[in-house]
Amino acid sequence: MTMFNRKSMALAGTTVLTLSLLAGCGSNNNNGGSASPSSGSSSGASPSASSQASESAKPKDKVEISFWTTYTDQDAGPITKLVDQFNKTNDHITVKMLGNQDPTKQLTAISGGAAPDILLTYWNNIGPWADAGAVLDLSDYISKSGFDVGTVIPAAMERMKINDKYYAMPFTMSMASSLMYNKKDFADAGLTKPPETLEELFDYAKQLTKKDANGNITQIGFIPDFPWIDNVFWPVIFGGSWIDANGKVTPNAEPNVKSIAYQRSFYEEFGQSQIDKFKSGMGKRGTPQDPLLTGQLAMFIGWEYHFMPERGEDGPIGVAPFPYPADHPELKGSGMVSPRAVFIPQKAKHQDEAWEFMQYLMQADTQVQYSLDAHVIPTITSALDDERLKVEENKTMWEFYERAKSANLNGFPNSAYINEYLQALTEETEKAIKGTLSPQEAMDNVAKKIQPLADGK
Amino acid sequence: MARAGGNAVGIRRRERKILLKGLLFTSPWIIGFLIFQLYPIVTSFYYSLTEYNLFKAPKWVGLDNYKALFQDEKFYKSMYNTLYITIVGVVPHMAYALAMALLLNAKVKGQSIYRTIYFLPTLVPAVAGSLLWMWLLNSQYGLINMALEAIGIAGPNWLIDPDWTKPSLVLMGFWGTGTITVMYLAALQDVPKMFYEAAEIDGASKWRQFWTITFPSISPMTLFQLIMMLISSFQYFTEGMVFAEATQSMGGPENSLLFYSIYLYQQAFSFLNMGYASAMAWMLFLVVMAFALVIFKTSARWVYYGGDK
Repeated sequence: MTMFNRKSMALAGTTVLTLSLLAGCGSNNNNGGSASPSSGSSSGASPSASSQASESAKPKDKVEISFWTTYTDQDAGPITKLVDQFNKTNDHITVKMLGNQDPTKQLTAISGGAAPDILLTYWNNIGPWADAGAVLDLSDYISKSGFDVGTVIPAAMERMKINDKYYAMPFTMSMASSLMYNKKDFADAGLTKPPETLEELFDYAKQLTKKDANGNITQIGFIPDFPWIDNVFWPVIFGGSWIDANGKVTPNAEPNVKSIAYQRSFYEEFGQSQIDKFKSGMGKRGTPQDPLLTGQLAMFIGWEYHFMPERGEDGPIGVAPFPYPADHPELKGSGMVSPRAVFIPQKAKHQDEAWEFMQYLMQADTQVQYSLDAHVIPTITSALDDERLKVEENKTMWEFYERAKSANLNGFPNSAYINEYLQALTEETEKAIKGTLSPQEAMDNVAKKIQPLADGK
Repeated sequence: MARAGGNAVGIRRRERKILLKGLLFTSPWIIGFLIFQLYPIVTSFYYSLTEYNLFKAPKWVGLDNYKALFQDEKFYKSMYNTLYITIVGVVPHMAYALAMALLLNAKVKGQSIYRTIYFLPTLVPAVAGSLLWMWLLNSQYGLINMALEAIGIAGPNWLIDPDWTKPSLVLMGFWGTGTITVMYLAALQDVPKMFYEAAEIDGASKWRQFWTITFPSISPMTLFQLIMMLISSFQYFTEGMVFAEATQSMGGPENSLLFYSIYLYQQAFSFLNMGYASAMAWMLFLVVMAFALVIFKTSARWVYYGGDK
């Protein structure tokens, strides 16, 4: 009996103690963070309210805003320079930058009470985060400040749009619209110019593939899903789409299915297990053993950041526009765009200042300087022609600036369910490339899986 | 401790004082437990009954998340992958660790050096170890396939062939069994020497000694290890995540490396389906619980505690 009593007393005591503690904690949180879970849904009207609040704040003091990026220390040089410059010239804002913030950390931060004021992230996070109510809708700021979205490369700006509203700005963009090839492999095979059409690409791949006496591949012309299964690039090249005007998802549209059948044809030609085996033995990308440098692989889907020094005039790597389907010459110059986006969290305290800094990042001058320092593609159309970029040390970027003007650049539509959609595409494309399902069946599966999400969100 | 008798009226003042002091001293743990464990656990159960994306207020959906789980092919796939790594992995790893412990228990010169060497790999962080093994398992230049080739076997495409990705992980798991080995070693040294002396006088073979003396004597350790490994392999995450990098996708080739916690992570942080992910966590809890229960129930038949009959 005593035992029981003592125990129950202990239990009661503990409960009381901790309940009071929890209560204390809870109220503290509410005071400090001003962030109750329900505030997200009701904060649609908050931008104006908070902007007024900060306008009335003392104008003399410098406001410190926090800027989080994904850049590692190694890559942070050029962005640090921009931030320093901003801090020097701006009289009422100080930007404090914090690098190495991967999306998971960012998500935690913007959902918590102390959100950073402005963040740089991968563009596909914007859809789900905006839909969840974590990202500030920029419509008001854009119309108030007169920022002209027409000055931005359309394919990049389009990625910032969710349900017809802009939630972020494309600070930089990466672009896959080139074919990179090993010049020596071409010379050895007697090929004098890069392939023009996809049909030629396939033909070249055959000529550039070598096998030993046992039938093992020793050199391969092209692997369509190397280094990864690209569920956006290939449909773009074939003029595909993912959603129509009526909200119907279209992964199984004809061009999309064709793009997967095309990738499959390489595996039918060279053999699944042979390609897999060869692929796993290829040197590591980005090292001197990179398969395109060693010539193990002759052709490769090129992004602007690939083989920066090696693709120079005398370098071992050649660059050409990516081939187009012979029966669709109007698709010439197609390519996929993948921007990095800057956005302001719904819960950010200094949204006005963050917007000011964001505008600075999107100025042509800033864009030019950053492109020069980091060798990236500016997202402001006028910057593409800027004379300051036409310097010798930046020469390997020139043709990419030209290609960034193509009207055939495209990307995946941003949405609340973008990550589910992309994941489903990857999974089903993989099955089709391996021949487990036909391309049509695989893409029908994606449509079946994703349509309910498109209807629901 | 268990003081029988005493007065049944209640707790005397002095005892109440002691109780309060005790609570005060244990409060850091109690508070920590309540805030960082009990509260999240209870909340996650509530979230599992809602649609919740971290930002908007949770929307009550009842058992919908659980119903949806049973229609989700990736739920089954990830559960299969996890059961595979648990069932195929745990018992061989334990057997291997025990065998190693027996060897390391042998009285030979340089015993402590061997012990150190076998424990070393355990100190390598999971990510680094996995990256290292990815080189060993490389199908063209990896040491493992080279060794297989030397004896005339064409090694598989470990990291790319969906049939071989999980066996690769099981293989790598043998490398990290140092902790289990050390704990077995400790258990082995607790087995009373006189049993062996008696057995030797009776002429029992080493094999016989192992099964009738050693194995029963260390069975509490086996039970403990079994439960701990079961739990940790149901939470299998890091190694699978790293191996999947070989194909640049979260679930690896044909989702053959989509383990339950990886899928849970994907649902939670990539798709922002916190409610669904919470339901997954509770489902995992139930499964682990069921396994642990079965092991505990059967343990009466094969676990012997010193002093017990």
